[in-house]
Amino acid sequence: MPRLIGVASARGLFVSVMLASTAPAVAQSPQSVNAPPPSPPAAVATQPAKPAPDMQAVLDAMMALNAKPIETLTPLKARLQPTAADGAHAVMRRQGTSTAPDPAVTSRDIPYGSDPMQFARVYRPAAARPDAKLPVMVYYHGGGWVIADVNVYDATPRLMAKQLNAIVVSVEYRHAPEAKFPAQHEDAANAYRWTLDKVASWGGDPSKVVLAGESAGGNLAVATAIYARDNRLTMPLHILSVYPIANSDMNLPSKRDSANAKPLNTAMLKWFGHYYSKSMADVQDPRLNLVRANLRGLPPTTIVNAQIDPLRSDGETLAAAMRTAGNQVEQRTFPGVTHEFFGLGKVVRGAYDAENYVIGRVSAALTK
Amino acid sequence: MKMIMLAVPALLIAAPATAQVMAPTEYVTTAGASDLYEITSSQLVLQSTTDPKIRQFAQMMVAHHTKSTADVKAAAAKSRVDAPPPALNPLQTELVTELQSENGPARDAAYIAQQKSSHQQALNVQKAYATDGSAAPLKAAAKKIVPVVQSHIAMLMKM
Repeated sequence: MPRLIGVASARGLFVSVMLASTAPAVAQSPQSVNAPPPSPPAAVATQPAKPAPDMQAVLDAMMALNAKPIETLTPLKARLQPTAADGAHAVMRRQGTSTAPDPAVTSRDIPYGSDPMQFARVYRPAAARPDAKLPVMVYYHGGGWVIADVNVYDATPRLMAKQLNAIVVSVEYRHAPEAKFPAQHEDAANAYRWTLDKVASWGGDPSKVVLAGESAGGNLAVATAIYARDNRLTMPLHILSVYPIANSDMNLPSKRDSANAKPLNTAMLKWFGHYYSKSMADVQDPRLNLVRANLRGLPPTTIVNAQIDPLRSDGETLAAAMRTAGNQVEQRTFPGVTHEFFGLGKVVRGAYDAENYVIGRVSAALTK
Repeated sequence: MKMIMLAVPALLIAAPATAQVMAPTEYVTTAGASDLYEITSSQLVLQSTTDPKIRQFAQMMVAHHTKSTADVKAAAAKSRVDAPPPALNPLQTELVTELQSENGPARDAAYIAQQKSSHQQALNVQKAYATDGSAAPLKAAAKKIVPVVQSHIAMLMKM
């Protein structure tokens, strides 16, 4: 017998009243992919800056694939939406460019834990000699810890493996709301430790490791470097953090000027928080609010941001906080591009420039 | 009670703090589209592949997803839910067009990359309905499909 409607909605109402009384700003969700979205934040009239035409073409292609506003959906339906990477593929296909994975890089999936989501996609340059001691990049994908996976974020790790002649370990991790914060940070740290143990057997050099990530994964790259410092693991030679989630202040300039940007808007940041956090206190945890973490003794860092992105100020304030803590940090904001631009270098000029900038920075760090 | 629940799916969706599980028709449409995409893309790769592992996998995809479509259709009938002929959504149509644009090993590689992504999504859909679905026969069908999709994902891990 299915649940009675009256009982179900009465229970729902009770839960919502409870949450409303304890957590006014972010009502945390149950651990179900069918959990309803939070109420949207107050509408902001400010319109974002106009993307460059090649960036706009990717966003238009994504919308043409019928992408619905993530912040209005359940996690299940959000995970079925077309991504910026899908939009870029559609543009490439129309331009006559292959969308097939670059055969110059091979990959295999290897578990690092017992949960089906605890595995890594290990990319390796196809031409590398079996006895080569390649440098290593541990990479974390984005998606606000709720949506997307290693499949969506194939472009960056594949490009980095090829251009840096490196092994790239693209880490899958448990997603929210099924597993809430700090499950993703624990998986990121465990995958880093596991990579240090295993990478010599894959032809990598465990003393030459870089931590990298995009968006939620850009946060994990920095948080994992902090974990490595605190747990006396081999420190990475460099951190690459692309538009990280790094500052829980919802009044930062970019969260207002890019409140209505695509493909990431400020309402989606609230939506992600609703599903990944267990309580209001989580959002202030220094693993999420990195600007308040102990940032001393971290390796040289490159932070990449997009102009039209509610997370731009997160990257800028993180760079400032890391410098204050005594670290070498270079941060660049690329104009005319939006969140998710990185990795789209085949169709977006700003992305091509950002990728080359990053490849130069990381190569230099690895050859020192 | 079952009849009442089927008659008011809109009410279930509208109720604010309850689980917003897919309505039975939406589940049937989504599962059907996902199966049709699997079958179409697998048939396409079967036209060109020379890799015996991919051939074997694609043949299995055609067989298994044809069966799950039939199983969901039968469960829909038991649940008195319409099961219109499956149709690809815009993203799935684009993915198939992308496969058509590739040849030889590039098509094989694009097919495997697409399969990894689409199976993860299919697992999400089936698990979500198997957990919270409102129409019992469809919920039971989803429960039986979950381990099949999981076995495909395990095979894809090695590809």
